[in-house]
Amino acid sequence: MRRLLLSAIIIVAIALSGCGKKEAANAPDGTKRYVIGMSQCNLGEPWRVQMNADIKAAAAKHPEITMIFKDAQNNTTTQQSQVQELVDQKVDLIIISPKEALPLTKPVADAIDAGIPVIVLDRKVQGDKYTCFIGGDNVKIGEEAGKYMVKLLGGKGNIVELKGLMTSTPAVERHEGFMKGIKGSQIKIIYAADCHWLEPDARREMSAALSRFPRPNDIDAVYAHNDPSAHGAYTAAKLEGKGREKKIKFIGIDALPHEGVAYVKAGILTATFQYPTGGAEAIETALKILKGEKVDKNISLGTRIFTKDNVAKGGEAL
Amino acid sequence: MASPKSDLARILDLAGRYRGVLAFVLVFMLGAIFTPKVSGTNVTAFLTWDTQRATLLYYAEYGILAAGMTLVILAAGIDLSVGAVLGFSATLFSLLLMGYGWPAAPAIVVTVLAAAVMGAVSGFVIARFRMQPFVATLGMMLVARGAAKWISGGQKVQPGAQPWYAMQSGKPPIFDSMTNPLGPIGAQPVVLLFFVTIIVLWIVVKYTRFGRHIYAIGGNEEAARLSGVNVFSVKIGAYALCAMTAGLAGLCNASLNGLGDPEAGFTYELDAIAAVVIGGTSLMGGKGGMFFTFLGAMIIAYINKILSLNNFEEPQKLVIRGALIIIAVLIQQTLERVEKRRIK
Repeated sequence: MRRLLLSAIIIVAIALSGCGKKEAANAPDGTKRYVIGMSQCNLGEPWRVQMNADIKAAAAKHPEITMIFKDAQNNTTTQQSQVQELVDQKVDLIIISPKEALPLTKPVADAIDAGIPVIVLDRKVQGDKYTCFIGGDNVKIGEEAGKYMVKLLGGKGNIVELKGLMTSTPAVERHEGFMKGIKGSQIKIIYAADCHWLEPDARREMSAALSRFPRPNDIDAVYAHNDPSAHGAYTAAKLEGKGREKKIKFIGIDALPHEGVAYVKAGILTATFQYPTGGAEAIETALKILKGEKVDKNISLGTRIFTKDNVAKGGEAL
Repeated sequence: MASPKSDLARILDLAGRYRGVLAFVLVFMLGAIFTPKVSGTNVTAFLTWDTQRATLLYYAEYGILAAGMTLVILAAGIDLSVGAVLGFSATLFSLLLMGYGWPAAPAIVVTVLAAAVMGAVSGFVIARFRMQPFVATLGMMLVARGAAKWISGGQKVQPGAQPWYAMQSGKPPIFDSMTNPLGPIGAQPVVLLFFVTIIVLWIVVKYTRFGRHIYAIGGNEEAARLSGVNVFSVKIGAYALCAMTAGLAGLCNASLNGLGDPEAGFTYELDAIAAVVIGGTSLMGGKGGMFFTFLGAMIIAYINKILSLNNFEEPQKLVIRGALIIIAVLIQQTLERVEKRRIK
């Protein structure tokens, strides 16, 4: 008898909760709300500021979502404890853009064990204890940049490569992809330097390249691993005072609205390739997961090219 | 009269007194010999006028920082906040120009004053509460970096970065006038500012009472206090002037970048300290001078330039840079010991 009563209560409870869910789906101000925690590794980089902005904008379209943002300020330990805080708060879903793979693998696995789905953005964690990974494809972006360079220079020319921090995967992949893209052409890299993603470093390295190759036709183009470096190279050429900034073609990567895209609009860069933040995709995927739909384990984002001709209409998908 | 011994002694004496110059000449020769030839000519890239001009232009902000740092180090202190204050100033300057649409003159004045206030606060805390300069300026470093991110919303300040900015496209004219060559030699105002800062602060430390008091405090603070030096205000003055140079360097940084980067100047304090020490100013305070710092800044600039021109890979670059800095200081110290022994 008692067992029967218990079962009845459980059945009613399940039925009620089911009703609750249906109500939430019908009415935007319904009872079922989702709290999503976002653990960002470093808001010092404009690209990551953009990622958070994209997430915020996408979440704003869904009134049932409440976002909690955490910024680890480029500190792995801080990020580990912030993920733990989100688990303790019992959020419904965690989005994380990890600073490093290995140290954040366990906190992410702990969240999964606690029954919280985790979407990993941009940088991976080890193993497969996460719900879904969303990221751009740096090799493909590098390759597209290489192919574009070949087309731009008619298959022949001397270029400068301003690399990102070469101990980080994106820089290595953007370099490898580019080499694949220019393979078979007569494009020669006459000067390359690690600029650590930083504009002042790029400016200085470019200035050294210009000193070494001072004739008007010595350098045909610059391939920079990010837009600030491309902009730094342009500035160096302009400051040289020989008008070479008008002759040399500058190509960058990332295409943030206020950086690369604005530089293309201003005629500073010839082209920039978007490295998508995945912020909007993360929120769409999060909603699918929360509604119990199945999602792909790995979601690879495409890229867009922005040039003078297509920048007004928002670039072109590649 | 001219016995071989006294000749040698005289040479050592000269070498000791001009040891900073000696290290500078050595690095210069290193550059003249060990850099690749410019394409299509027989001249090494280091010796071209363009390279020399570019070196001055890009390292002017380090030089300006180092000049201010010299004051603080002479007073046996240290200022770790200058890099962050530089970042704050570059951000504030850009924000006033592009965000609020201010004309250049008031933007410059407000930026440099704001930087000076930050230094004065550090100096006050150090002098009034006898806090370790290392700790007090470490705190100010975080405050200044935080302030830079705060006022900019964490984004680089550039035209159109925020919808409310007065300037949505283009470039403030002051940025171009700071970096465009002036006159027949083609020196840019940024470079001139470097020289002017060095000369003005050289006069300050050498010919003013304030300067003599800085040396006195650096030599022996208690003795200086007992002999009537106003340690409190001299210290505040030194840190305020140091931060002011960081403000000036911030103006240069923003003008060169064409934008205000709240991350600008990260770890620059270390380069500034290295320049002061390589020049031959003692970290213990009381010994050294502004001319030495000028040489030290140029030595660092040349070392970086030589490595860039040679297009070394990053790992080698770091190792060589570190080794050269150590060797430069070693030369300094050896010659200093020689000089001391001779005086005794």
